[in-house]
Amino acid sequence: MTLTATNDRNTVSDVQPTPGTGAAGLVAREVCAWFSGRLVLEGVTLAMPRSTVTALIGPSGCGKSTFLRILNRMHELVPGAQLAGSVELDGTDIYAGRLRATDTRRNIGMVFQKPNPFPAMSIYDNVLSGLKFSRISVSDRDALVEVSLTKAGLWNEVKNRMRELGGALSGGQQQRLCIARALAVEPRVLLMDEPCSALDPTSTARIEQTIADIADEVTVVIVTHNMQQAQRVSDVCAFFLAAENEPGRIIEAGPTDVIFGSPTDERTSDYVHGRFG
Amino acid sequence: MTTLAPTSSSTAAPPLPPTPRRIGAPLRPRDFGWADAGILAASLLSSFLLVWVVFYQVTLLSGIFGFLLCWYAAFLALYWVVTTQVVDRQAATDRTATVVVVTGAFLVLGIVAFIVGWVTWKGVGHLHTNLFVKDMSHFVPADRNVLHQIGVLHAIVGTVEQVGIAAAIGVPVAVTTAVFLNEVGGRGTRIVRTVVTAMSGLPSIVAGVFVYSILVETSVSRYSGFLASLALFILILPSVTRTTEEVLRIVPGGLREASLALGASEFRTVWSVVLPTARSGMITASLLGIAIAVGETAPLIFTSFGNNNMNVNPFHGAQAALPLVLYDFVRQPQGALIDLAYATAFILLALVLILFVLARVLGRQRSTSGALRARLRSVLRPSARSGGSENPSPVGGRAGRPPLEILTVSPNPKEPLLP
Amino acid sequence: MAIATETVGPGRAPLTPATIRNDRRKGDRVFRGFARGTGYATLVLLFLIGLFLFIEGWPAIHVAGWHFFTTSGFQTIGKTKHFGVEASLYGTVVVALVALAVGTPVAIATALFLTEYAPRRLRPFMIAVVDLAAAIPSVIYGLWAIYELQPNVVGISGWMSRHLSWIPIFKVATPQVNASLFIAGLVVGIMIVPIIASVTREVFSLTPPGEKEGALALGATRSAMIRRVVLPFGRGGMISAVMLGMGRALGETIAVVIILSESFFISPHILQSGGTTVAQLIAVHFGQGGRLGTQALLFAGLVLFAVTLAINLAASAIVSRSRSGAGVDL
Ligand SMILES: Nc1ncnc2c1ncn2[C@@H]1O[C@H](COP(=O)(O)OP(=O)(O)OP(=O)(O)O)[C@@H](O)[C@H]1O
Ligand SMILES: [Mg+2]
Repeated sequence: MTLTATNDRNTVSDVQPTPGTGAAGLVAREVCAWFSGRLVLEGVTLAMPRSTVTALIGPSGCGKSTFLRILNRMHELVPGAQLAGSVELDGTDIYAGRLRATDTRRNIGMVFQKPNPFPAMSIYDNVLSGLKFSRISVSDRDALVEVSLTKAGLWNEVKNRMRELGGALSGGQQQRLCIARALAVEPRVLLMDEPCSALDPTSTARIEQTIADIADEVTVVIVTHNMQQAQRVSDVCAFFLAAENEPGRIIEAGPTDVIFGSPTDERTSDYVHGRFG
Repeated sequence: MTTLAPTSSSTAAPPLPPTPRRIGAPLRPRDFGWADAGILAASLLSSFLLVWVVFYQVTLLSGIFGFLLCWYAAFLALYWVVTTQVVDRQAATDRTATVVVVTGAFLVLGIVAFIVGWVTWKGVGHLHTNLFVKDMSHFVPADRNVLHQIGVLHAIVGTVEQVGIAAAIGVPVAVTTAVFLNEVGGRGTRIVRTVVTAMSGLPSIVAGVFVYSILVETSVSRYSGFLASLALFILILPSVTRTTEEVLRIVPGGLREASLALGASEFRTVWSVVLPTARSGMITASLLGIAIAVGETAPLIFTSFGNNNMNVNPFHGAQAALPLVLYDFVRQPQGALIDLAYATAFILLALVLILFVLARVLGRQRSTSGALRARLRSVLRPSARSGGSENPSPVGGRAGRPPLEILTVSPNPKEPLLP
Repeated sequence: MAIATETVGPGRAPLTPATIRNDRRKGDRVFRGFARGTGYATLVLLFLIGLFLFIEGWPAIHVAGWHFFTTSGFQTIGKTKHFGVEASLYGTVVVALVALAVGTPVAIATALFLTEYAPRRLRPFMIAVVDLAAAIPSVIYGLWAIYELQPNVVGISGWMSRHLSWIPIFKVATPQVNASLFIAGLVVGIMIVPIIASVTREVFSLTPPGEKEGALALGATRSAMIRRVVLPFGRGGMISAVMLGMGRALGETIAVVIILSESFFISPHILQSGGTTVAQLIAVHFGQGGRLGTQALLFAGLVLFAVTLAINLAASAIVSRSRSGAGVDL
């Protein structure tokens, strides 16, 4: 990894950040990203207001996933990955050293494209895994599991099979289990990278319902290739585009109905109407 | 070619049942019919008779081994010559090559079956309860009734203790090394991997003399079971490390990401997600390492040394072990001792076999998701990789090898394209 | 701080990556350090093996000088000291060569069978059996060899010595043909088959299916396809598998001790009774010969260690450089 340790860690790491609760706003400023020295994302500035659903759209390879992973410090896990710019969680720069990467990630949860429940853990343990990892104790685990699974719209389907392994569920159920797992640590922001791309329409509808239900408590940022889905679930929309051999940029961002109804940029209009990409 | 509609041949031949044809079933090529089997059998028989006459009647040789060898050579030559009369040269060469390959493989299977069967057959008859409850403190080599006075309990205890301690040190160290190689990474992985690989070829006797050179010379008690454990540890470490690393490699990277995205630390990710996911594979790796350690003799000569009396303390004084006792019996082949040797060999082999079977069974069980299990299986039994049936998904795993799709065309060029 | 946000003016992207502060928790740094330390410990272990054998064995070289390598025998007590590993090294090499001559063809046939011929359902079982062959203790191989293999082999040994004696290595000076380097090599050859077979099988299974299909599509028979595609592809892997097997053969102790009757006489007649290997020398004479004897044996152990290490390192270098070996760990 290219991350280099600086020796001021003792002075700051003792400062225990006190993340608030409830949905938080995210602001990315002038974010740039490199993979092995190749610039793939340039000057991305985007506000993702508290308790809204932000959709990131754009053709394949324009850097949406990269941007999303920068928002919760997953980007730096890729060998050879570098970045510049800042990301603020309710005004605190997550890269400025006040928050640890692990704390950041607990506050900013993530759901991946491919459902990835922990195969060696039961459904129950999967939901509680985040708490276990962070050594957070809760008074009523069962209640938390039920609440998280209910929020994710999975409770009724699995309430009688809590002890089964996470891998024993269908793909759509697994994805909702991953959402429940992410919600159980009560993140303030939830990042979702094409969460429905591996799922059937019914499961997709359920997850969209889940997103609508949780939007009050947690800010959602979702990457999607499905224009209808972006229109259905999001309040704010950002259109990414990378010209050939150039890094990805945000072409246009704004309220979803504006982006889809009357975009100012021709490329946005072409893309949302399916004329390219 | 594989989807030929049977309807086209319906007028000429009875309709084929709608079962899928077995493709690439090598022992049953399509054009290998009764006539070919007849040639095979005839070649076998005539070469047998020929060699029997020459071998036993003309040259007056003895020994089944030489006979089999000559028979085989004569058979191959005869078979090739006869098949060239029926099919073309290339096909004849192909068939002869098939015979060579098949006999080579069955020779190995045969030897393993021979050894296991022979030891069992010879050993079971001499099993005696005394073996499991007595030691050799009343051992008088010249005594004909030796079987009723001595046992190998002291050796069983020694082996269990020595191998147990070796595994208790070796498995955690091996897993930690594998975690370093696959999860932590960074500087030094290459050289450590190279050294671990090189160490897996270390002769076991060298491990023994090494431990002797550092410890026996200096320590108060010259020999002990613990020193044997150290030597066995050196032998277990590389193999368990390498297999564990292979298993860790197939844990999908997505699981690590999911764990980190939940705010888990790296240690938590490894401890709570990666290792449990790889658990069954690691158990297999460890049990295989232990199974091999159980049978190691050479390093024990220099470390636990052997002892006719029971010594339950692995940290003090010479201690017996099953392979050592067996080695002693084999070197002093006097009547009854041979029987003891067979019985001991059976106990030792049974122990190895149990560990071996256990390793296979546990490796198959209770893992994880289907895809992961398939990949795990293909790592533990690498050739399953070439079988298209368990096509692992290329998720995660840094050096994930491309799954191979074995040939789906019929390998037989002579088969007509249309009936 | 770490990210140079101050330098970011609006509209002007900073085109240098920022340094991200490494903010691992203490626990994680301890964990990484511990794992790394454990990994490095194996390096230290290998180094220590060489070092201790050298330190403890050196006094013997001090006495014998380089004659250690040109003397055969183990006379370390008394006035005339006469010890060295010449005959032992010779015997070690002969046993290993015989073992390779016997084991390699069988192992490669087995590997080909397992990858190209075996019915898919039988394959896992057969692989398990071959793996089991590697787990059978060498003392049991020895026991089997002396009671079952040797009695059946001496016949062919005797026959070869009578009828093929125009080939120098098959000549015998004494009529005894048991307990010979040849029979020891035969046993060791059987023992190294699973090792060579498992590495070659792995390499063969990596042959690109496209190339195999290409050959078959041109009308090649299966054996022609193997000869033109699989074997050339797997050549590097086969070479290193053979070297790996040779490393094992050089170090095999117990089975050799059981079969071979010790003799320090260097003779090219491998069929005739008697011989010695380095490992046998160490195992048989351990505890005899006083302090000097022990030192001589430890130095012999160092020689064995150095030779096998060199061979194993060369084997892994060959396999990792060959086309087929890119994904194979030895
Ligand atoms: N691990 C990596 N190493 C090197 N380059 C990468 C890596 N991941 C992504 N890239 C490159 O970064 C660019 C942006 O990739 P990213 O995955 O962010 O695109 P995306 O918008 O999410 O595409 P998609 O819609 O297909 O998921 C691409 O050009 C891609 O090739
Ligand atoms: Mg993406």
